[in-house]
Parts: sequence; structure tokens; C-alpha cells
Amino acid sequence: MNPVKNLSAIRKLVQIGAFVFFVYGGTLTGYYLADKVSGALPALSCAYDMQGADLCTLIPFQHQMDHRLGEAIAGGGNLMMGLMPTLITLATFLVLFVFLNKAFCGWICPLGTVQELLHNLGQKLGLQRRESLDPGLVKRIRPVKWILLLLLVFGFPLLAGIGWVSHDLGDPFCKICPSRILTTLATGETSQLYLDSSSSILLVLSLTADFLFGLTVALALSVRQPFCRICPMLALHAVFRKLGLLRLVKLGTARCDRCGLCAKACPMDITDIHTEMEKRDVTFEDCTLCGRCVEFCPDKDVLQLKYALLPVFSADPAYFKQRKKAQRNWEKANLLSLLRGGQKLAGAKRQ
Amino acid sequence: MNTDIQSAVSILMLTLLMQSPAVVVQAAAGSGPGSTNNSATGQQQSHRRAPKKFRLENSEGAVMRLWKPDLSTTALTAEQGSITLPRTGVDNYHALVVEKDWGYLKESLIRYQYMHGKPSGHSTSELTAVEKTTFEIVPDPVPREHQHYRSNDSWNFLLRFRGAPAAQVPVALETSNGSRLNGVSDSNGLVTLRIPDDFSRLDAEERDPRTAEFSVSAEMADAGIIYQTRLSAEYRVDPGRWQSLGLGVFITGTGLVAGGVLGHRAGRSA
Repeated sequence: MNPVKNLSAIRKLVQIGAFVFFVYGGTLTGYYLADKVSGALPALSCAYDMQGADLCTLIPFQHQMDHRLGEAIAGGGNLMMGLMPTLITLATFLVLFVFLNKAFCGWICPLGTVQELLHNLGQKLGLQRRESLDPGLVKRIRPVKWILLLLLVFGFPLLAGIGWVSHDLGDPFCKICPSRILTTLATGETSQLYLDSSSSILLVLSLTADFLFGLTVALALSVRQPFCRICPMLALHAVFRKLGLLRLVKLGTARCDRCGLCAKACPMDITDIHTEMEKRDVTFEDCTLCGRCVEFCPDKDVLQLKYALLPVFSADPAYFKQRKKAQRNWEKANLLSLLRGGQKLAGAKRQ
Repeated sequence: MNTDIQSAVSILMLTLLMQSPAVVVQAAAGSGPGSTNNSATGQQQSHRRAPKKFRLENSEGAVMRLWKPDLSTTALTAEQGSITLPRTGVDNYHALVVEKDWGYLKESLIRYQYMHGKPSGHSTSELTAVEKTTFEIVPDPVPREHQHYRSNDSWNFLLRFRGAPAAQVPVALETSNGSRLNGVSDSNGLVTLRIPDDFSRLDAEERDPRTAEFSVSAEMADAGIIYQTRLSAEYRVDPGRWQSLGLGVFITGTGLVAGGVLGHRAGRSA
């Protein structure tokens, strides 16, 4: 299949470009926070990465809960003044978010990109992989991202600012975020990979961070997007997804009942794409707008990626055939099959 | 260093040291002679926005200016040997510059100080790029927002004379804990200095909130005039004392194994 016409290939190219820019682009944009692109990126681009071009919006949210709103509440100050920085960050986030919607996860996020590349590596190594997780498990995991958003991004930082909990909980999500370790390691910096024994809270947080990082890396080899499923950024996106210009749209047909290829293709295991027959907008809370469901939908225009009202990519039987063949060839070529082929060849020579 | 410069060193008059907030407890037993103990996190937090006060010795006749992030300046005066930085309402680094002209000797002191307020909309690179005094030492870079100088860290400093890099100039780093080390600027005017780990050891591996002051100084002569400059800043204890990379790698390894086992099981059940 011509890579120029392959949406997955185009997306991979965009992802790698975004990874390079957001992890190393500080050399272009500048070193200081004021030099960064937005300061409220809707993707996990880490501020601890000194070479990065931007930082994720969850960082200022935690900081503002702790130092602005929390302190305003504790000090009996003007609450509106305490809330103002958060509103400015939210507005900046929304300006960007409206532009690409949840595609920030599927096309831009450095951690999402690395998880996908690791999964490709697992496939190439011939590891046993799980294409789809059990729907019951997916359902049980879904609330975790909301809990992380409410507690670690807003709750504990606010309580720390008020003074009800230790200041060690001022930025708890950053302290456990695998992107912090990943992006700093990517720049050759090991300072974020540590176990902090200075307090019990920091010990637990650093232990969680290191373990979660290792777990994410290893799981990504066999399970698609393991951390994305619990990422609070995904939850934040879900809140505002109706505002985004890019949408996943479905025009269900009777054939959809017997197919289900879209759900199988989905890296987030959203079965609702398959079962939903009423709603036109199927940008579900876990959707990352990667477009794989559209690629693997065999019926003309049943699934579409639309920007505002304009279709930018639509399901097409001809594309589906080519894409399926390309996928089959891609999956066939791995280390295990190469070794098996070599063994067969050696056996044939011996005979 | 020639004899003229040596004699100039002996009459160096200005010193600039940050004064600890009133609530800050003096260094705990066993801490270095020049270190302070910001022991309570809450206290530290409440003083983030408090006015910054500096002790300035021999300030008679000195000119003091505060450079804001937008590069505007405000004249300051010393009262009873101390300078208080007025709140500017603007977030980001500001530069406190003190100059004193002795005729044959021109002294300057610089300190980049983070102040809190509304976003300035200006990058610190604008503040470091502008010429603030004839001979100056510029951190390259200044620790980024929420970053700090810490013992055992290496940082670059740029020596600039009349806006151009000053090459092959001897530089000294001194700390309030009593350490001293020397360096020489390279052909680009840059010198890399490692802040000494000179805080005394505490018994327990707890977070150590002590801070101390360091200064980087240099001098050079031009057209019969000696120029001395000094950059001062606060530094903290190396977190490596209570953060372990080895254990971090071990825990990550545990996570890798756990993920491998879980992934393998998931693959088999698929």
C-alpha cells in the first residue's frame, strides 16, 4: 500500500515529528517556560524535560490549585483572583483543544507515541500480544482516569494549598507520571528516575512512578496503549470533546451488526463504536481520534473523521482492502517468523 | 593576575547576601556555617511572595537598580545596610544590579531573583541578554522556573565585557559554607563550575532544606581601570542524599517484570 495514502503511516510520521518537537524542540523555542509554545498543551509533554518545546496543561492546573486557589482559600483572599490563573490556563488549553480535539492523544502525545512504537516492537519481536482487552476489564479500568484527574490533578493539590494535606501532594500527578521519566530519559537525563526516601508520601509517589513506568513500558509490548487508558488527560479531553472541531462520525447500517472490525481495530477497545447505532457523533470518552476504526471499516462512508462539517477521511471499501492486506503483511514480518523461516530453510537444506 | 589586580582584591568592598526571612530558623546543629534551614515547608511557601531582602555592605555611593523582566529599571536605595526588593507584581526573574565607581576600580554585583506576580510575558533570556553593567557574569542559563542551584550541579557562566564575551579571565566560586574553587573562561567567555557539596551531613536520610549562598567573581583590567564583578545566588542541598537512582532503577525493573508477566498472560488468554 502506498504509504502516502496510508492513514496509519501518515499518523506515525506526525507522531514522530511531534515527539521530536515536544521532547527536544526547546532548542528552537527557548529554554525558559515563557519561551514554550503554550504552557497548556493538551498532551503529556513534560516540564521536567529541560529540552522540551512545551508543557502539558496538567502541570499548571496542579500548580495553580496548590499555590493560587488553595492559598487564596486558606488566606481568605479573593477567590476570583485565586481562580483566574486556572481560567487562563483552561482558556489556553481550549484554544488548542478546539483545533484538534482528542487527536492530541492519538497524534501528538509523546507518551502515546512511545507506547505505540513499543507495541510495534513487541509485534516485530513476535511477542504474544493481546489485540483487544476483555470488555469487562476495559469497563472496570475506565473510571481510573477520572479518579486520577479529580484527586491527583485537582483534589490533592488544592488541599495542599489550603494546608489540609502535606505540600508533598502539591503536584502528585507529575510525581507519578510515566511521561516525566520517559521524556527526561529520552534527553539523557536520569535525575527523574529515583526513589525518594525523604518522606513517606514521596516514597510512595516515587515508588509508584518508577513501578508504573516499568509496567507501562513492558505492558505496551503486548497490550495496546496501557497508560492511555488511565490517563487523566484523556478524562480532561472527554469533558470538552463536544467543543472540538475534529470528530468521529458514524452513519450506522444494518451490516454494522455483523461486522465489528472497527471495535477490533480500536487501540482503546471502544466496543461502542461498533454497537452504537443512534448517535452520529461517536467521539467517545476514550477515543483518541487515531482513525484506525475508519481505516478498517469496510463500508462506504459509515465511519468518517470530520473537521467541522467537512469529511477529512472516510471509510472506503477499496482503501479497506488495501489496508487489510498491508496490515497482514506488516504482521507477518516479525523476528519469530523470520527465525521459523530460517529453521525451515536449514531443514530443507539438510534433507 | 598582576599586582594591581591583587591590590584591588584586597579592597573589594561590596558584598550582597540574601537575608533569611524572620521565621527561618538558624542552621540546625551540624549544618554548615553559612547555611540556613528553611525547615517548615509551610513557612517556605508563605514566604514565596514575601519581599526579598538583601544585606549590602559598604553601599555608600553605590548605584542600585532593579531590572524587571520587561527590561525596565527601578532605582533602589539601601537602608541600614540592606536592600528590600519592592514587589513589582510581575512574575519571573528580575535582576538586582549594584555598581560602585571608585575611579580606578569599578565594582558590580548582580543577582537574578525570581519574584512572583502576574505572568510577565517575557523570557528570562531577554533579561540575561541585555547589558546591565560593563563587566558582568551571566548565568547561562539561569535555573529555569521551579529549578534551583544545587550542590554537585554543574552550571555555565558567561563572562561579558561591554556586551562581548570575555575570554581567558580567571573566575572564582566561593560559598558561604567556606568552599572556594577556581576556573578560567574559555574563548567564548564561558566557564563551567560545579557547585561544591559542602553542606555537612545529617544523620538521617531526610530531605535537607538548608540553603547557602555562593558567588562567582571575576576581575579584569581595561584602559587602566580594574573591573570587578560578582554574581550571587542561593543553592540547596543535592537531592541525591535522599533520592536513590539505583533503587529507582530497581523498582522500574520490578515494574518491567510485572508488566512482562501480565502482558504474557494477556497474550496467552487472547
